[in-house]
Amino acid sequence: MPSYAWDFSPIWRNADLLLAGLANTIWLSAASIAVGLAIGLGLAILRLSHSRLVSAPAGALIEFYRNTPPLVHFFWYYYGLPILLGVSLSPFAAALLALSVQSGAFFAEVFRGGIVSIERGQWEAGRALGMSRRQLMRRIILPQAVRRMVPPLMERSFEVVKTTALAATLAYSELLYQAMTLASRSYRPLETYSAVALIFFLLLLTASLAMRQVEARLRIGQP
Amino acid sequence: MTGPSFDFGEVLGNIDLLLRGIALTLFLWILAFSFALAVGLALALARASARTWLSWPAGAYVEVFRNTPVLVQLIWFYYAFPVLTGVQMSPFTAALIGLCLNTSAYMSEIYRAGLQSIARGQWEAGRALGMRGRQALVRIVLPQAVRRMIPAFTNRGVELAKMTSIASVLSVHELMYEAKLLSTQTFLPLETFTIVAVIYLLLIYPGTLAALLLERRLSRRYAT
Repeated sequence: MPSYAWDFSPIWRNADLLLAGLANTIWLSAASIAVGLAIGLGLAILRLSHSRLVSAPAGALIEFYRNTPPLVHFFWYYYGLPILLGVSLSPFAAALLALSVQSGAFFAEVFRGGIVSIERGQWEAGRALGMSRRQLMRRIILPQAVRRMVPPLMERSFEVVKTTALAATLAYSELLYQAMTLASRSYRPLETYSAVALIFFLLLLTASLAMRQVEARLRIGQP
Repeated sequence: MTGPSFDFGEVLGNIDLLLRGIALTLFLWILAFSFALAVGLALALARASARTWLSWPAGAYVEVFRNTPVLVQLIWFYYAFPVLTGVQMSPFTAALIGLCLNTSAYMSEIYRAGLQSIARGQWEAGRALGMRGRQALVRIVLPQAVRRMIPAFTNRGVELAKMTSIASVLSVHELMYEAKLLSTQTFLPLETFTIVAVIYLLLIYPGTLAALLLERRLSRRYAT
């Protein structure tokens, strides 16, 4: 086995390149999570509708996006959708759309699962007090359900952060794409890709440590 | 203004290209899944070990693979790993190793949860019958635990199937790679990627349904 002389100096010299990529990764992640949560909430409401005409298409859309690879959606939104719409999309816009619809499908299932998990007795109690469906939702079901939704929503959000790396295939200058540029320029793929893996690792580790704090808080006052 | 006209026929005319892609996707999926099942078990056992020189690296491995994007892992194995070892891998091997190691990290967590779910009394009963730790594991604990793990493994299989598409970035000629090729040849990206998405759905959805049915059956069994 040849002994390899590690040299991280090209990485340090080009740290600004990677930092710009990291900023774009965080920006794309945050935007996709925000839009994804909105789409997910909308889909969940449609999915929970009593009318099959509304709930069935929402269910089909959710299942479609949960059971197909995100990379296909990236390509579909970047190369396919512009033909349908007659406008071209920037790599960022295509990645944002693909990621937020895809994560929205997963978020929708979390929202639905949280609401469905509330015991039947809670619904009945609300109805016995003469509450309408909307009042019941807002005052009784949602406050309890949201607590249960937060951990899986955060876990899904970490998946979104990891999936943003796929935007590199559309040449959007997020962290991995910047690393590819740097690796071909510096001829140091080992150091570059190891550094990028480490950056992602630290980013996600920090996020999951923060999540544990939140989870501990959520458990306060719970049986 | 005329609306866009669709030409699914031309894409479907190249179905043999897509079929070849499907075959390689399935091959990659099955191989990575089988290896990951074995590696995951080894990791879970290492992690549960009382020896820190075994449990600590196994824990670190699982955290690293779960907290980095799978695309970064595949690229690392293809472009960075050869620099370290001097061994150039084929794209398929790099993708297989990356996917297998990634999935094994998740598998090990499933094993861990499954093994923990078995009551201590089962281990003790084994020991009371004079079994050694390994015998009790293989004969008593694993057979019970594996049954409970099957839905989670199936779900992981679904995730892995979706991940195989990422191998296209290393130009492994699986379904997604053939799709990209076809979309540039035919100038029909909309039709191509729509058809390919539907193909993936047909490949993957049965797995999701199976996991759902297995979960229901299990919860009914343990409901009493």
